[in-house]
Amino acid sequence: MIAHVAWRLSRRAAVNLWRAPLPSLVSVLTIALALFLGISFAVGLAFARSLLTGWGAQASLTLYLDKDTTDEQANALLEKVREMQPDADAAYVNRAQALRRLRLDLGDLAGALDGLSQNPLPPSIEVTPRGSPPPAVVRMIAAQLQRLPQVTEVDYGREWLDKLEALGRSLKAFGAWGLMAVLGAALLVVANTIRLAVYARRDEIEIMKLVGATDGYVRMPFLLEGALQGLLGAGLALGTLATAQRWLLPQAQQAFAFASGVAAPRISATDAVALLGAGALVGLLGSWLAVARFLRT
Amino acid sequence: MIQLFHVRKSYPGDAPVLDDITLRVEKGEFVWLTGPSGAGKSTLLKLLFCADQPTSGQILVGGRNVGRLTQSGVPYLRRNIGVVFQDFKLLENRTVVENVGYALEVLGASDGEIRERALRRLEQVGLKHKAGSLPLRLSGGEQQRVAIARALVNEPTILLADEPTGNLDPSLTDSILQLLFDANARGTTVVVATHDRGLLSRYHKRTIALDKGKVVSDA
Repeated sequence: MIAHVAWRLSRRAAVNLWRAPLPSLVSVLTIALALFLGISFAVGLAFARSLLTGWGAQASLTLYLDKDTTDEQANALLEKVREMQPDADAAYVNRAQALRRLRLDLGDLAGALDGLSQNPLPPSIEVTPRGSPPPAVVRMIAAQLQRLPQVTEVDYGREWLDKLEALGRSLKAFGAWGLMAVLGAALLVVANTIRLAVYARRDEIEIMKLVGATDGYVRMPFLLEGALQGLLGAGLALGTLATAQRWLLPQAQQAFAFASGVAAPRISATDAVALLGAGALVGLLGSWLAVARFLRT
Repeated sequence: MIQLFHVRKSYPGDAPVLDDITLRVEKGEFVWLTGPSGAGKSTLLKLLFCADQPTSGQILVGGRNVGRLTQSGVPYLRRNIGVVFQDFKLLENRTVVENVGYALEVLGASDGEIRERALRRLEQVGLKHKAGSLPLRLSGGEQQRVAIARALVNEPTILLADEPTGNLDPSLTDSILQLLFDANARGTTVVVATHDRGLLSRYHKRTIALDKGKVVSDA
């Protein structure tokens, strides 16, 4: 009995969708638009965060040494640094090399250095952590290296890292709230759209209840319709996203040269299934809200 | 079969629609419920099939106390009650046989059983040949016969009819009433609300008269 009732209700849901194509189309498009906006928002945030992480990973530390440090002392210190930070690349830059670099950096202005009576630059050890350590780890490494003898200052772009970290935190919080707001708004729009469809069929519901249909029986075709509309909407959003990824992302990456090296997030098969599930869920919940309100009244 | 004890129905700020109604309808009885417009006939029927709740008093239908039914229990009570309305309440986008079979769908009957029983009922009301038609292609009398077929298709123990001939040409009245008498002859308890005094004089049955929400006669 359950099987043929389920089959009948599913058939009715499909027939109802077919018989009222316009309201169904509005629901499908609403869900598609909401999911497209929501996912674009999430993908955009993920891209921004990976960009930030990428920039954070490029952070390196420079240990400025006392000017009087000899090459032997500096090399001994370099070994010590390598022992302390086996997951980092470390290199010694003596005062002459530092000056040469400065000349190169200054380019045409390098002549200004000719007037100097002596090299003002201190020797240094450059430490570049491998992988992508989070800013907190970079900060900890800096504190450890600061305690070594002959090290006068450790420069690791502290302000820059702090800003990146704060920006990352803000994006995360904003992303979570923003995504919830977009999905919440989608749910309400879908519920209202489906409520119109439910209202258009109020006579049918009245008769169903009159002949002894339970609330569950009345509700079921609407829930199935909602889920089906959600699936179709998610499919449409997915198709639009895939098209956008295929045609727009390569151009966007060219336009934002600073983002080179950072992979743009792609929609995986798991993401696609999750998106379809989210669409069905939004449709289902929207229908539930719409019908529940109608059944109460 | 149906018992009402001191039933009162009122809405805030208005005079009571039903006031201290106590009556009893036996199993297999045919009862006219009559009175002028606004006497409370339709409200009384609504209370019997739980479309509304009494303000006070007790209602027993088929031995079940309607006031104590939970929301989820109402559909199961309604499956034992067939209801016919003046405006037919048929689904315009469903065929005649689908409209009649609707009452069986909610019981979980198979498609084959639904069609067979719906066609049998349509045959009883003389409309088997219109099974595939849409209701709007039918005359008012035919639509009401479809509504009666739907009300009777799951063999309810009680049939309630609210002005079933109110929208029909007088020439069709007798054929519609005959269907209700036939159902009653098969053992169904029938309560028909009407303000048409001509019917009462033509068909002598127990008549409960209401006026301003009170029972003024029961004979």
